Amino acid sequence: MHEFSRTSEIVDAVLSEAKKQGALKVIEVEVEIGDLTFLGLEQVKFAYQVLTDKTIADNSKLTIRQIQGRGRCGSCGYEGALSYLDDPQFHMSFPTFNCPRCGRPLAISAGRECIIRRIRITK
Amino acid sequence: MSSTVQSEPGEIFDIELDENLKRANELIADENRERLRNHGVRTVDVMGSVGSGKTSLIEQLVRLLRGQYRIAAFKGDLTTKIDSERIASLGVQTVQINTGRECHLDANLVRKALGKIDLNSLDLIFIENVGNLICPADFPLGSDKRVVVVSVTEGPYMVMKHPFIFADADVAVINKIDLAEPMKVDTSRLAADVRSINARTSIALTNCRTGEGVQSVASALDLKHVS
Repeated sequence: MHEFSRTSEIVDAVLSEAKKQGALKVIEVEVEIGDLTFLGLEQVKFAYQVLTDKTIADNSKLTIRQIQGRGRCGSCGYEGALSYLDDPQFHMSFPTFNCPRCGRPLAISAGRECIIRRIRITK
Repeated sequence: MSSTVQSEPGEIFDIELDENLKRANELIADENRERLRNHGVRTVDVMGSVGSGKTSLIEQLVRLLRGQYRIAAFKGDLTTKIDSERIASLGVQTVQINTGRECHLDANLVRKALGKIDLNSLDLIFIENVGNLICPADFPLGSDKRVVVVSVTEGPYMVMKHPFIFADADVAVINKIDLAEPMKVDTSRLAADVRSINARTSIALTNCRTGEGVQSVASALDLKHVS
């Protein structure tokens, strides 16, 4: 959800920085979106095209790096990917937040990101 | 002698931004949390779909706890005052937060609501989020505890369909247990679903119309009550 408003925030931040840098055009934007963040990537890409239309970021490339959810276990020391439960009967796959090794609750260490890493401009 | 280097037209520059778009809300949530802790006020964020029983749960908790705690309630709603009027009729201070078109509460709105009350006169605030199990997951408010309410009338898959909201849930309330039989919903299955997503989440089974099970919610939230 909120693909449009989040992408709007991305475009605003990009245009603001580009203006600060005296850019002629923005040619590429690289963002990181965690897979636990509630954003549909296709919709983000679409919203990006719409929102950059007629701006100096028009036709720029949006590169989305997806960050996999990761956790840390305070009990057994596990550090790594989350486990996902699959239910083939209902075509559902959902993340769990318990340690894949010992089953105790994990502290989430990655996967919730929504970060603009860098922009590529011409002057 | 000085020399100047000039960029060629069309030269490419990479600018590192590292701008975290969630940070703005997180910072305000942290501020809220700090402010509430400094005043010794406990806060509980109550989430759940429309009609799951959030307001009924808060009503029952207020009845149970108003002897031990000075309570206020915040209610997020798109347009109406219906729910906050129900709570206000119990004699607690309520602040209505009309979110307009927004489908979730955010830390900024809660900050504004905190400005409308005297924190020195309170011990406990219930924040009732907008009826939605998806969006609030991404917007921490700065509360101590988060409660997720699902009801058996929503069917057997509510937990599995909304895993993300349970990542930060302290308590899952399975409500309307009196209707589990006619709905053919297995509440122990729902409880098992919660445990498989997050072993940290306490589980309470309730009938918020009669108050059955509400004491276990209060206990799970570390709220003292007289049995």
